Amino acid sequence: MTTATQTVINVVDRDGASRSVEWEPGQTLMETLRDNDFEVLASCGGTASCATCHVFLDKSIVDELGERSEDELELLEESEHYDANRSRLSCQVDAREALDGATVTVAPEED
Amino acid sequence: MLEDVVVIVGAGHAGVHAAVRLAAWPGRVVVIDEQSGETYERPPLSKDFLKAEGQGDASIPPLRKEQFFADKSIERVHGRVESIDRRAHLVHIAGGRSIAYTKLILAPGSAPRALRIPGGSLTGVHLLKTRDDAVALRDALRPGRRVVIVGAGYIGLEVAAAAAVIGCETTVLEYADRVMSRVTSHPVSAFFERLHTEHGTRFVFGAEVTAISGDGHVESVMTADGSSYPADVVVAGIGVVPNHHLAEAAGLDVRDGIIVDADSRTSDPDVYACGDATRLVDAEAGVDRRLESIQSAQAQATNAANSIMGSARGKDEVPWFWTIQHGVRLQTAGLRRPDDQIVLRGRFADGRCTVLYVRDGRLAALDTVGSLSDFTAGKKLIARATPIDVDAAADVSIKLGEAIPAPQTSTL
Repeated sequence: MTTATQTVINVVDRDGASRSVEWEPGQTLMETLRDNDFEVLASCGGTASCATCHVFLDKSIVDELGERSEDELELLEESEHYDANRSRLSCQVDAREALDGATVTVAPEED
Repeated sequence: MLEDVVVIVGAGHAGVHAAVRLAAWPGRVVVIDEQSGETYERPPLSKDFLKAEGQGDASIPPLRKEQFFADKSIERVHGRVESIDRRAHLVHIAGGRSIAYTKLILAPGSAPRALRIPGGSLTGVHLLKTRDDAVALRDALRPGRRVVIVGAGYIGLEVAAAAAVIGCETTVLEYADRVMSRVTSHPVSAFFERLHTEHGTRFVFGAEVTAISGDGHVESVMTADGSSYPADVVVAGIGVVPNHHLAEAAGLDVRDGIIVDADSRTSDPDVYACGDATRLVDAEAGVDRRLESIQSAQAQATNAANSIMGSARGKDEVPWFWTIQHGVRLQTAGLRRPDDQIVLRGRFADGRCTVLYVRDGRLAALDTVGSLSDFTAGKKLIARATPIDVDAAADVSIKLGEAIPAPQTSTL
């Protein structure tokens, strides 16, 4: 079933393989990734506490999504894989139509 | 040949995580849940949910949406397991149904410790553990109500913060001499006590609660020194007890928790256990502990699933915990001991400070208050048992990850 708010994204996993998944309304990006078997641990359940759901998005999308919270930035900046232009915690990204068709890359696991 | 079946008892963080890990496994996976409805996240129950307007429980996120289980062919059974027949490899569910297992994973969680005192079961006395508990407590917290919270641990303080924000007249009665005494050091306790006091919460330390009075509904809480605290709502936040009774009745080794090894295996090789109900005993690693933590529950669930699937054990992660009170985040990594050297990094007066616990010259644990930048770096130092330069670590102009002693230069 399709709805007006349905969003489809392209996800690249840690092995470089990619596939399209549906992003359901009301879910965060982290929940979508988790429900589709991508390796995001999300130990904190989506409260910006653990940085285990780190992803990369295109810079234009990151810009469009607006400011990252202080907590999110602090966690991201300590990641070995932090990219100021492209890093987000997927638990802090809500579904938006602007993300339809976007590519999401799961960040490498921390050492 | 009969199909392999893994039966998982419990659908909290540990049980669901085990089921998710087993989703790719070719056998059947059955999750038995005593509670009805969707699985759900627990951390919000004592935090944002209590402050949220509105009725019902729609705003509590599921651990996995119901469709996920269907998509993965994970069977969900609603029912209470009455007993386990290990010899016959059967679990008996109330009502007469039995399910055969090849491997069993017990994830029954913990139950909040009740106030076993006169009046402890009067209407208006709340415990907080389940979704239903949270809905009932949220409906009871109304502006102007007098709320007495017994216990100043994570749950008691998170509830106190919500109650104070809602506009309740909030009092916390604590037996120890400071808040969160079981989980943190004096400087962190002092900071959080002040934070709550500034938001109008009153603390009484050294308070031994002896009785609750009221005619059907709570009216006041009595302490051993003869004091009486008027109350419309009483919340007990005095810790949890592991739900290990089913395992005990089945003859598994139990000691304040179901005893498991590093693979989450119990004393029966076909039975695993994970989460709050377990006690990890690993004599070789010098470990004998029961942790109440989502991180630990997930790691144990991963280890159980991996062991069943014959894959390698997951990476050991430093235990970690968190709480948010009045918007201030406390994150703990590692397990401190009271005799650890305490090193302060930053100033509590600035609203952000990291407390380092140093043991034998190495970082053993840390608390980050209002600051996450040190958390990830510190967690890595703890995992590696890195020797730490205490002076550098106390200097906020130096990154915590770089606060390690300079390499010894050889003088040949």
